Amino acid sequence: MSAPAGAEVIVDDVSKDFGRISALRSVSLRVSPGEAVAITGRSGSGKSTLLAMIGGLEQPESGQVLIDGQALWKQASPAHARREVVGFVFQSHLLLESLSARANVEVPLIGAGVRRGVRRARALSLLREVGLSDRAEHVPSELSGGERQRVAVARALANEPRLLLADEPTGALDSATSERVMDLLFRLREQLGMTLIVVSYDRAVGARADRTVTLIDGEIRATEAAALQR
Amino acid sequence: MLAIVTTNLLRRSARTIFTALGIAVGVATIVALLSFTQGLKETAAGFVHLGGSDLGVFQANVSDPTASVLPSSLVGRLSKQPEVARATPLLLIVEAVKADPAAVVFGAEPSGFFARGLVVIDGRGARAGTPEILIGDRLAAQLHLSPGGVLAVSGHRFPIAGIYHSGILFEDSGAVLALATAQRLTSRPDEVTDVVVEVAQRVRASSAAKSIERAFPGTQAITDPQQALRAGANSTLISKAILVIVVIALIVGAISVANTMAMSIVERQRELGLLSAVGWSPGRIASLILGEGIAVSVLGAATGLLLGVVGGSLLVGALGVSSYVSPSVTAWGLGRGLLVGVAIGVLGGIYPAWRVARMTPLKALSGI
Repeated sequence: MSAPAGAEVIVDDVSKDFGRISALRSVSLRVSPGEAVAITGRSGSGKSTLLAMIGGLEQPESGQVLIDGQALWKQASPAHARREVVGFVFQSHLLLESLSARANVEVPLIGAGVRRGVRRARALSLLREVGLSDRAEHVPSELSGGERQRVAVARALANEPRLLLADEPTGALDSATSERVMDLLFRLREQLGMTLIVVSYDRAVGARADRTVTLIDGEIRATEAAALQR
Repeated sequence: MLAIVTTNLLRRSARTIFTALGIAVGVATIVALLSFTQGLKETAAGFVHLGGSDLGVFQANVSDPTASVLPSSLVGRLSKQPEVARATPLLLIVEAVKADPAAVVFGAEPSGFFARGLVVIDGRGARAGTPEILIGDRLAAQLHLSPGGVLAVSGHRFPIAGIYHSGILFEDSGAVLALATAQRLTSRPDEVTDVVVEVAQRVRASSAAKSIERAFPGTQAITDPQQALRAGANSTLISKAILVIVVIALIVGAISVANTMAMSIVERQRELGLLSAVGWSPGRIASLILGEGIAVSVLGAATGLLLGVVGGSLLVGALGVSSYVSPSVTAWGLGRGLLVGVAIGVLGGIYPAWRVARMTPLKALSGI
């Protein structure tokens, strides 16, 4: 695998409302290329909404999110822009149940119009990277929770993203499996030089990151460097 | 993409089967109705050209050709027309054979070209002055009758003299009595149903028809099957009813597919949100939805074609109306059924595809 450089993320005075609920209030954040940031906070604090804004899954009410100087949402094709820059890992893995692990990893590449042979080779290489080469042709129901999440990590890396966003990637896993998935995420980040933003309620995740940002009621209340957390 | 379409359809096999069945029923209805319409046209052609005639003269404005009543005296006057080479009267008796109500009994003059054109393939012709009956080969096969047997018409038993074949569905599925016998049987001594006419050489049937209608007010001379269909109010009603049923089948089919596809989209919202999150464009996601709709409708249309063709034939057999109308399947009829089936799938998939294209990925992922 080639090593893509990390992306710079600038969140500038972003607010987002869902009806009467203010999910984010004037949030500003800067993440340097290659940096690993953990976003923590209680349930409903706006962590996942902030991650969605960074990943261009939703448009901010006000303010802007820039990835390497570009607002994903304002591109002619936000989906295309997302595919070029961002990889997502979701809490509930969100694998397509009818497809094998390999085919699931190929899904983003199908969206990018990559030829069959190329995407198959890349999917198998990524599955080898996450330690699942022997499970490539198994469907999600035949995999354990940790294995499914590792497939989801491989899928997130399929388009060689410069920014990896993980939304509570270990939320549905036991502690031992969580450790292994986190090890994998941070190892891949080191190896590939990507920028990594992980949302988690688990403060232990913060200890692995370069920096931890804490959200309370849609506002950033604290930012701690890793050294202070240890 | 094709692999994802296939696996999605196979994963939800019950939904796929029921959606395809919904389309199949719509397509089958269309194919069956179109083949019946074609069959009706061919049946009408048989009516118009009874005895191999060029045209048939009927009473004007009757509900259907068998309800026509003409005076017997018309035959002599018709024969004197310069456009007419030969004319012979027929009295049609319907629903008189209890064993096969669809069989038509023709009262025909033994010396007329209608009776003389019947080719006897078993037994002999009817003797003059006897109440003998000739039966068509299709009726004979259906009722297992043979010369020497008996056929009951309106409760009267007639000895079967022979079996004939004429090549016209109506005639071969019916029977022929002497005109005088038929008139006695129906208590209509001086009436006939129609007069079949062979036009003179170098005279066109259509111009002869116009001359006859002018010369004999209150009659209509029918030369082609479409005209026969239009002539009867019942036939017109049937044609209109068929059109309405076809349109209803189309609407029900399209709504059913759109509903199933829309339900499927609601259930798969998170999955589609994921595709969007990993970089699938709205157009590509919409293509996936449309692709699934088209695949289901092709499956449904193919099943519908089979159901329409086989079901139509089985239905006329079960209802015992094969003498009146036999479904006639044409390539164009099948093509229309297939086109309509696929169009239903495309139309049914458009709304869900449009809805997905408008959704933001976050909204879709949240399952809102």
